[in-house]
Amino acid sequence: MQYKSQAVAKPYFIAAIGLFIGQIVFGLVMGLQYVIGDFLFPMLPFNVARMVHTNLLIVWLLFGFMGAAYYMVPEESETELYSPKLALALFWIFLVAGAATVLGYLFVPYATLAEMTGNDLLATMGREFLEQPLPTKLGIVVVALAFLFNISMTMLKGRKTAISMVLLLGLWGLAIFFLFSFYNPHNLVKDKYYWWWVVHLWVEGVWELILGALLAFVLIKVTGVDREVIEKWLYVIITLTLVTGIIGTGHHYYWIGAPEYWQWWGSIFSALEPIPFFAMTVFAFNMVNRRRREHPNKAAVLWALGTGVMAFLGAGVWGFLHTLAPVNYYTHGSQITAAHGHMAFYGAYVMVVLTLISYAMPILRGRAANSNKAQVVEMWSFWLMTIAMVFITLFLTAAGILQVWLQRVSDTPMGFMATQDQVALFYWMREWAGVAFFIGLILYVISFFIKGESKAIA
Amino acid sequence: MLATSFHTPKPSSRTSPHLAGDLAIWIFILAELGAFAVFFGAYAFTRAKHVADFNTAQLALNRDAGALNTLLLLTASAFVVRAVQGAQMGSGIRDARWMLGAIACGMAFLIVKGGEYSAAFDAGISLSSSIFHMFYLSLTFFHFMHVILGLVILAVLWNGLRLGRYGVNNMNRLESGAAYWHMVDMVWLILFPLIYVIH
Amino acid sequence: MSGVFTKSMARNIFYGGTVFFFLLFLALTFDTNKELPKRDNSQNLTPQVIAGKKIWETRNCIGCHTLLGEGAYFAPELGNVYPRRGPDFIKAWIQAQPTGTPGRRQMPQFHLSDEELDHLVAFLKYTSEINTANWPPNLEG
Repeated sequence: MQYKSQAVAKPYFIAAIGLFIGQIVFGLVMGLQYVIGDFLFPMLPFNVARMVHTNLLIVWLLFGFMGAAYYMVPEESETELYSPKLALALFWIFLVAGAATVLGYLFVPYATLAEMTGNDLLATMGREFLEQPLPTKLGIVVVALAFLFNISMTMLKGRKTAISMVLLLGLWGLAIFFLFSFYNPHNLVKDKYYWWWVVHLWVEGVWELILGALLAFVLIKVTGVDREVIEKWLYVIITLTLVTGIIGTGHHYYWIGAPEYWQWWGSIFSALEPIPFFAMTVFAFNMVNRRRREHPNKAAVLWALGTGVMAFLGAGVWGFLHTLAPVNYYTHGSQITAAHGHMAFYGAYVMVVLTLISYAMPILRGRAANSNKAQVVEMWSFWLMTIAMVFITLFLTAAGILQVWLQRVSDTPMGFMATQDQVALFYWMREWAGVAFFIGLILYVISFFIKGESKAIA
Repeated sequence: MLATSFHTPKPSSRTSPHLAGDLAIWIFILAELGAFAVFFGAYAFTRAKHVADFNTAQLALNRDAGALNTLLLLTASAFVVRAVQGAQMGSGIRDARWMLGAIACGMAFLIVKGGEYSAAFDAGISLSSSIFHMFYLSLTFFHFMHVILGLVILAVLWNGLRLGRYGVNNMNRLESGAAYWHMVDMVWLILFPLIYVIH
Repeated sequence: MSGVFTKSMARNIFYGGTVFFFLLFLALTFDTNKELPKRDNSQNLTPQVIAGKKIWETRNCIGCHTLLGEGAYFAPELGNVYPRRGPDFIKAWIQAQPTGTPGRRQMPQFHLSDEELDHLVAFLKYTSEINTANWPPNLEG
């Protein structure tokens, strides 16, 4: 650790992993509810479990991004963090607010929660992923702004690198586009149209800048390849990302009442969206092949390469599968969407945060890399989680294809629930793959507690 | 933004086959051409399914305006070439006026195309009025915005030429910007016959 | 082939390209907003529909169902439930929940008043009349 203020990243990473475990537990509950419909009902209805599952994902990724920024920016800027105290205070505020929100979801009926938290003043709740009560949403904005202030001030007083600029731009974009979560017009079409300005412009827009910056940072560190080379490729890749991704938003506008030209604009530009992901994969492998040093942290290298491959598969290939309007006409809102969502989030965002944690955590704990034994366990967890996610995706895809066939393509379409019964076998297999994923996650946590000889920081 | 330092090709590198302009701009140009190509393909594919509708609507386009615009863009490209050659031979400051000529041609393109648009909008044509007009407006407007961006780039290059920034050892920016402009021109050379002429 | 590849050029293209495509997106959004009144059924946004949308939101219906294909995939699409089932069935169904059938997926009981049920149905009717380019492919959603 070059700067002692980088240490504030540590609680962020620990919280991220903790919430990740919670996310997966709720995921397993939902997976089971898909096949044993009344499991835990009425204590934990599916909609509540799902809200917790998706909101925990978002919150822990945000913890990961913030921790990553606190770790990276001092090192990139070659100066101490502007205010480590602020960073620590924000950590506790965000954690307590997040926990309170989840407890609210779990123990207060949603309508009561809405009433209690001022949803009548400004109705923003009850929309997918944006279920948070108004105070939580405002809290997110306040925390984000204070965090951005801290990071921006740090950068202003130090060296400005391409990586930190791209990271900062992504984080600012994240905060700015979140403001659309406060816009909830009565007109359902407009509601949906601008809802995507948060959701799509996050995950297929500004978050990819963060992803690129994190990956580039770790690649510089573990390969020793010239910063100049890595940074210019970073720029090229994120250019391709935004060139295709911004208009690519149109692939969400086919069937929600927007004009029909979006079927063309959305199909054409989102058909090109796999290109930047492919470029990222090639880039990651290329840089590792050209490495000028053997970094002792093999696990971090594995995570970095895994991010490239899985982001391409999940976001690129599985996205392309159903992005063209004539295909999407049949697959929209089916299990194929769920399949894509799972692998894309895991491959792009989960893995890049774990890449950074894998690289930074040993250093934060005073060593260049973990012991060989710990790394072996971590790599096992990598393979277990990644392969499990591939199977989750494949089973959901199979379920989705069958569902689309029975319910939408067939001349004698089956009803929704009748179709669900037909594909139950795939849901069972998905649940078992989910259990394997959870075992991988436990192994991952265990790897942090394995001692053994480790190299001191050079 | 443009005033920062950059690498310049060593004169010796000119002996081997040389890619004019920065690799970064070529990647961008390829991406843009990719988007246009897919769009053109979609047009051709759809046209084949609605030949009669497309033919009728195409006849209503102002082909003279389209031909004039083709001339304007070709002239602009020729002027850009003159300006680049001038800088290569060390007379960039004097030959900056060629760049200004190119900018004038580009502006004229925007005016002519703007006239076409205003006539179309007066006639109630919009992106949603028919499948042909969806393609016509989408493709030409997408290109129209590229002309605007191209003009911004040419204006920056013109300023650089005027200030004597480019010379035989410092061509990267100039060549990159010029390459982008030629791409914009070339796309029109496909777009014009495809949409205005071919029935 | 020799070539030059500079970071400053890559950076300028990134900023230029981003601004360009965002402006293009704004232009298309502008046109979309102009076209929407022809498709979005906003002429039928009555106070009942607006109240119904709020009930839809505050009961977190999207946590299980899809609406115009967006939401969770655990329970049926409701964008076209109005033509599929009709108002009376919808109300009776909501009132009859949960079914309590062992092993089946369960929908919570929300204790909605008759007025609230009418609002919700009005919202679902309004939604079903949005021009969605013929999606879903059939009545089953």
